[in-house]
Parts: sequence; C-alpha cells; structure tokens
Amino acid sequence: MIKLINTSKIYDKNVVALDAVNIEFKEGELIVLKGVSGSGKSTILSLIAGLIKPTTGEVLVNEKKISKIADHFVSSFRQENIGFVFQKYNLINTLSVAENILLPLVPLNLTKVELKSRLENVLKLFDIEDKKDTLVKNLSGGEQQRTAIARANINSPKIILADEPTANLDEKLSLEFIDILKELKSQKRTIILATHDPLFFELDFVDKVIQVKNGQIIS
Amino acid sequence: MTLTPEILTIYILDLLFLFFAIIAFILSLQILKSWNFEATTKLQYSLQMKSYLGSTIIKYMFYIKLPLFLFFIFTLDKLSFILPGAMCGAGVVNSNEYATVLLFLKLINLYLFAYWIVLDKLDMQDEQQRYLKQKFTIFIALFTLLVLEIVLEYIMFSSIDVKDVVDCCGTIFSTNDNTYLSKALSLSPRILLSLFYMNFSLLVLSAIFRMRYIFSLLNLLFIFISLLSLVAFFGTYIYELPTHHCPFCFLQQEYSYIGYFLYGVLFIGTFNGLVVGFVEFSKKEISRHYRVSMFFNLMYIIVVTLYPILFFIRNGVWL
Repeated sequence: MIKLINTSKIYDKNVVALDAVNIEFKEGELIVLKGVSGSGKSTILSLIAGLIKPTTGEVLVNEKKISKIADHFVSSFRQENIGFVFQKYNLINTLSVAENILLPLVPLNLTKVELKSRLENVLKLFDIEDKKDTLVKNLSGGEQQRTAIARANINSPKIILADEPTANLDEKLSLEFIDILKELKSQKRTIILATHDPLFFELDFVDKVIQVKNGQIIS
Repeated sequence: MTLTPEILTIYILDLLFLFFAIIAFILSLQILKSWNFEATTKLQYSLQMKSYLGSTIIKYMFYIKLPLFLFFIFTLDKLSFILPGAMCGAGVVNSNEYATVLLFLKLINLYLFAYWIVLDKLDMQDEQQRYLKQKFTIFIALFTLLVLEIVLEYIMFSSIDVKDVVDCCGTIFSTNDNTYLSKALSLSPRILLSLFYMNFSLLVLSAIFRMRYIFSLLNLLFIFISLLSLVAFFGTYIYELPTHHCPFCFLQQEYSYIGYFLYGVLFIGTFNGLVVGFVEFSKKEISRHYRVSMFFNLMYIIVVTLYPILFFIRNGVWL
C-alpha cells in the first residue's frame, strides 16, 4: 500500500507542485494520474520513488516511511521494490539494450547465470530478444520504451511507476504499451501511470483514474 | 615568525578547517535545537538535509585530519634542520611552551575524531538515525577542541625563533635528570617488558572472552605502556644506542621512517580496541573491531620485538 499523507512539495522560487495531498494506492491496483503538464503528477511519482523529499507531510510505501529515511536507504528500498519508467526513458545511448537492462543489477553482485536468466526473462516478456546487442541509440522510439520498461522490471519490483510513457510514441506503439500494462497488471503489480494521453482513461482494466490539478487531487 | 612551506600548508589547511568547522558547528546547533525524527514538518525535512551536509563536512574534515597528524610530526622533524641545536622534532617541541600541549591535544583529538567517524558510520547504518543527536552533541565539544588546536598551532609555530638555540633530544630525554620523564625512562627493562607483554597477553585473553570494557581499558593502558617501552627500551635497539631515548628520531630517513609505521599501527590497533567499550556495535561489527585491534597490536608487538632479537643475533649481546 502506498500513502501520501498531507504531502506538499514546494520547489525553488516558491513553485507549489503539490499542496497538502492525501491519497492512497492499494496493492495490485493500476492507477492513472491524469492532468496537464505541471499539474503535479510527476512530483507524486518522484515522491513515491523517493527521488525527492516532500516539503511537508509523509510518504509511506509498503509501511516504510520513504520520505523520512536517508537517501542511501531509499536507494536500496527502490532497488528492491520500485521500477521507474521515465518520460524520456533515461537510457544510456552508448550501451546495448542488454547492458541498459542489467544496470540496476550491478550493485547486487549476482552470478552470471542469475543475470542471464533474469535478462532472458524480461527480453522475452517485452519482446526485444532480437535487439539484445543493439546500441540504444540505434533503436526506434517503441523499442527504446520497451527497453526502459524491461529495465524497470529486471528486479521484478512490486511497484511500477511510469511517467508519461507514451508521450513520444505514435498510437500503434501506445496500444502495444497498453498490452504490456495488461500483462504487468495480471502479475499483480501495483502500477501508477502519470499521463495526459486520453487512450488510458477508458481502459477496462484500470482501477482508478485520478485527476491532478494545480497540485491538488480533484477526483 | 618562521614560515616554511610545511607551516604555510598547515596554516592554509587550518583556515579551511576553521571555515568548514564553523559551518558544521552552526548546522549542529540548528539540528540539536529542533531535531525530531518523527515530525513531518518543513523544518524537520530541512534539518534532515542539513544533517547530511553537516555529517559530510565533519566526516571528511576528520578523515583528512587523521593522516595530517603524521604531516604535523613530519613538519616538526623538518623544522629541526633550521633550529640551532635541534637534532629532530623533539628539539622543536621543546623550543616553546605550547608545543608539548599541542602535541598531547592533537593525540587526544586523533582518538576523538576517529570516534566521531565511527559514530557517524553507525548513525548512517540506522534508519531511525538514533545516534544523530549524540554525534552532533559530541561535535560541538570537538569543535572547541579543534579550534583550540588551530589556535595553539598558530601560536606554537609563530613563537618559534630560529635564532634561539634549543636542546637536542639527547638532553631532553636524558635519564640523568630528576624529572618524572627521566625516572620513567630509567625503569628497569625487566619491569617494563613484563608490563608490556603482560598487557598484551591480557588483551588477547579479554578479546577471546569478549570482555569489551576490560579490552577497551587494556587498550588505553597499552597506548601508554607501548609508548613508554618504545622510548625507554625498544628505541635503543632501533638506534643501536643504549642511551638514546627519543620518540622522534626514528621518524627520520636514517631509521627507514619506522616511527611512522609504529605510531600508525599502534593508533589503529588501540583505537579499534578502545572503541568497543564506548559504542554498542552489532555482533559482526564488534568482532571486526576485535580482529582489527588484535591484528595491528600484534603487528606492533612483532616489529618492536624483532629489533632487540635481530640486534642480539647480529652482535651476540644485549644493550
């Protein structure tokens, strides 16, 4: 379970990104956060991932007070529990697909056999086996997105956060992403999606669509 | 005022330390005044960020201060070349009334700074940051000692006059005077060595039976007994001179800089031993400290013991 309790985030120059937000996400739910750019959706995701600290209030992820603990504890918690798909994917262009996907496992010192088995699983799941050795800079937008999703899933996290994952994709590729979401949802993962793409608002397997406006939860 | 490149380096570093220490001091006061881990207020989140900044500043400041002690000793030794009468750092230390106090203060600070680093490590390993208040409170006290050290350092170096003739170590550490020092130095080797090896044997026993407070206390004792036996007995075999009792000369090239090694090993060994009595470590951590302490103390014992043995093998007599 994920909880934001009376959480506010004020960036420099007094930009209020979130204003005393109270929100709860249950385990296994797929939730869509909708709203225009700058409404506070990405801030909610970053707070849940522990990438930033709130200005006031508290963020709890699986009973862990993620906003209270030091950054190095948050990093290890994130490594075990959270997969994050960034809007611009944040892949390393000069590395291959496989190397990018394996990056989150580097600090774990796993055996080669374990690494290979995990890599093969996600490559297969997200249908990018044939691109394994291709450099990321030579991939199409859809392939880059699937690589980013595969990387977010390499640790089999219970929570997946995706920030505008279809912003750079055409409709066909966005529909492919919806299939991926369905698959992840069937695996009982908690998925929180921040998007303003209307394609996601009417999906039958979405549990909740939450409107975020001016740093507040509207519905 | 005497200004050598080494003294200038120390002054510049002192200024930097002072600058960062003042920042850390202000942060520490703010943290101690309002810290409440459970609070979810703007102030608490800002204090959390300040505590990382403060801890990082203090930690790196102390990390640098530890090896700088050796640089200080090196500077004293180097100054002996320009002070008439001085043969090593001992002459420099004896050249004015502040140097001895400074040297002892630096030694105490060395152990206290290292203790703070251990405390900080523990705090960083604890999600609830239970050691946070303790470590910043201790820093407030250490700040005072650090400032005192910097002030004394400035006064000490600025009162060195290269025109004054100073005593050499042979006179300072003579066994013919009626001072406490000369009485200590003229202790019978039999008593001294018995104390030294008995102290170490007790260290081994207390480590085996995990008697942490006794182990810690014995390490404190080991510092004094080791230094005394080094200067009064083992040193004479390093110098191969029965009347020479100087704690500085073996820092020189002539003696392969063995003093740096011996003092370094003794510090690591005794510090790791002392700290087990002061900090509640996990089982794994405490074992690591016992092991490190015993390893370095043993290394110290082996090296100092080898000097008289090798001398006897080479010459067939004891000094």
